[in-house]
Amino acid sequence: MSEVVLRAAELAKTFRLGFLRKKINAVLDVSFEVRRGEIFGFLGPNGAGKTTTLKMLMGLIFPSRGRAEVLGLPVPSLAAKRRLGYLPETPYFYDYLSPEEFLDLVGALSDVPRATRRERANRLIGRVGLDHARGRPLRKFSKGMLQRVGIAQALMGDPELVVLDEPMTGLDPLGRKEIRDLIVELRGEGRTVFYSTHILPDVEMTCDRVAMIFAGRTRQVGPLSELLSARVVSTEVRLAAKDPGSGGRIGPPLPPGATLRETPEGLVIELPAEVDVDAFLQTALGSGARILAVVPRRESLEDFFVRQAQSPGGEKDKEGKAA
Amino acid sequence: MRRIWAIARNTFREAVRNKILYSLLFFAVLLILSAVAVGKLSLHEELRMTRDVGLFGIDVFGVIIAIFVGVNLLYKELDLKTVYTILPKPLYRWEFVLGKWLGMLLTLAVEVGVMGLVLALTLWGQGGAFDAPMGKALWLLYVNVVVVTSIAVFFSAFSSPFLSGFFALGLFVVGRSVPEIAALGEKMGGGAALVVKGLVAVLPNLHLFYPSGSIINAEAVSIHTEFVGAAYMTWTTVYGIGYSLVVLVLAMLVFRKRDFV
Repeated sequence: MSEVVLRAAELAKTFRLGFLRKKINAVLDVSFEVRRGEIFGFLGPNGAGKTTTLKMLMGLIFPSRGRAEVLGLPVPSLAAKRRLGYLPETPYFYDYLSPEEFLDLVGALSDVPRATRRERANRLIGRVGLDHARGRPLRKFSKGMLQRVGIAQALMGDPELVVLDEPMTGLDPLGRKEIRDLIVELRGEGRTVFYSTHILPDVEMTCDRVAMIFAGRTRQVGPLSELLSARVVSTEVRLAAKDPGSGGRIGPPLPPGATLRETPEGLVIELPAEVDVDAFLQTALGSGARILAVVPRRESLEDFFVRQAQSPGGEKDKEGKAA
Repeated sequence: MRRIWAIARNTFREAVRNKILYSLLFFAVLLILSAVAVGKLSLHEELRMTRDVGLFGIDVFGVIIAIFVGVNLLYKELDLKTVYTILPKPLYRWEFVLGKWLGMLLTLAVEVGVMGLVLALTLWGQGGAFDAPMGKALWLLYVNVVVVTSIAVFFSAFSSPFLSGFFALGLFVVGRSVPEIAALGEKMGGGAALVVKGLVAVLPNLHLFYPSGSIINAEAVSIHTEFVGAAYMTWTTVYGIGYSLVVLVLAMLVFRKRDFV
């Protein structure tokens, strides 16, 4: 098994709010391990405790219980911080600085020598596609541009572990693709990437393993291939009339549990898993239909996520969290 | 040290690019220049008026700028959430606070320096000179703003800018009145005198930084004559910087334990 780069063990955080010091359990029990060289997705609905967990890992919030380590070094510690780069949820930077100035500041804070700082800042600005705006103050940047500056600053210390909090949120499809590609590139360079998100298609496209958090607890941790069921959950059958000019009715009688949708090209029938697809297709051919497509559908991450969210303890339980 | 200097340099750069500080500086310069007009109303005392009004302007605007910069120093980082990007870097929280404080000291030095320069040019234009007593007075005013701004930073580590400003201004007023408070305590006698004595020991004695017109060691001190000696300057500077450092360490302790939600 490869080296563990990031470990969270039974992390919990309780806030005390207001005059009466009311207890709010933001995170109840979060445990996972991120291994070297993988892209690890930290998934959960809004308010599940993703950002609070990340802030505990970054030393911005002190855990009420549990512990975390980066490459065996305790969090928070200077030694652990030297090994990681972090992008906060929404890019908050000094808006009076230009990307060049900001990256220079971040490099100095990461103890990067001056000459290396300049060279690395130039390279990173080019890499995130901001060459044209390198001297412009950050207050004039769009959200997508700021996100790119955020990725560049996270890489200024040349970290082994890159932690990104919701890196794709609020970006247009092109921006999302750019960030996704960059994440995959980082893995290619041998870095480990840990990112939180609730955008599931991005996770399916990039992550090797995931952890899911619901109501402050991690419930599923593992490779996507293991978490998602390999069995076929339904089969989509597309039919058209053999003779389009005949005007006759096509298609066999629908089996129980199947759904039917009409499209300009013909019929789309969704068969549940228990239906004998071969027998159905025979009947369909016999009834004067032409088979356009047969698509078996396996469980998607979204199906899995929804199933987890709807199972007991999965949905955000306000009473449970605000104990 | 590199990390502390990086924070200090950035704090200074932020101040230099802050238009509000320029506005305050503009009004300070206006007040110093108004000393010329006030001097015209006096009978052959133009230079005296310029020195008095000029130093008064530097004192008032120095304190206003110190409180304004001080209360916003940490609060702005929290409010704009830039702290979320900076603190996960390999940097101790105390280094961050120290860097911000040093950057602010540099900013205040430039602000007081610019005001002093305007006053010096004004005096020179009137045929006078910015002599040693004026230089000493300007230095004491600088140490004064360092103390005030450190107090403001301490309050801003756990309260809003409005409250921090209110507390810092309150302490400034009380701090300037320390000799009067001490005298009052001596008159009261008994337990109350002890309480006042304890209070005076803890309060910042800001009167030390504006001694013109006071009696020190049975001698009247005036900006227009001998002013204060080297021993007074040294001791007062050590007191001011020492007081500021104690307050700064308290701010660091508060900041060290904070959750940045």
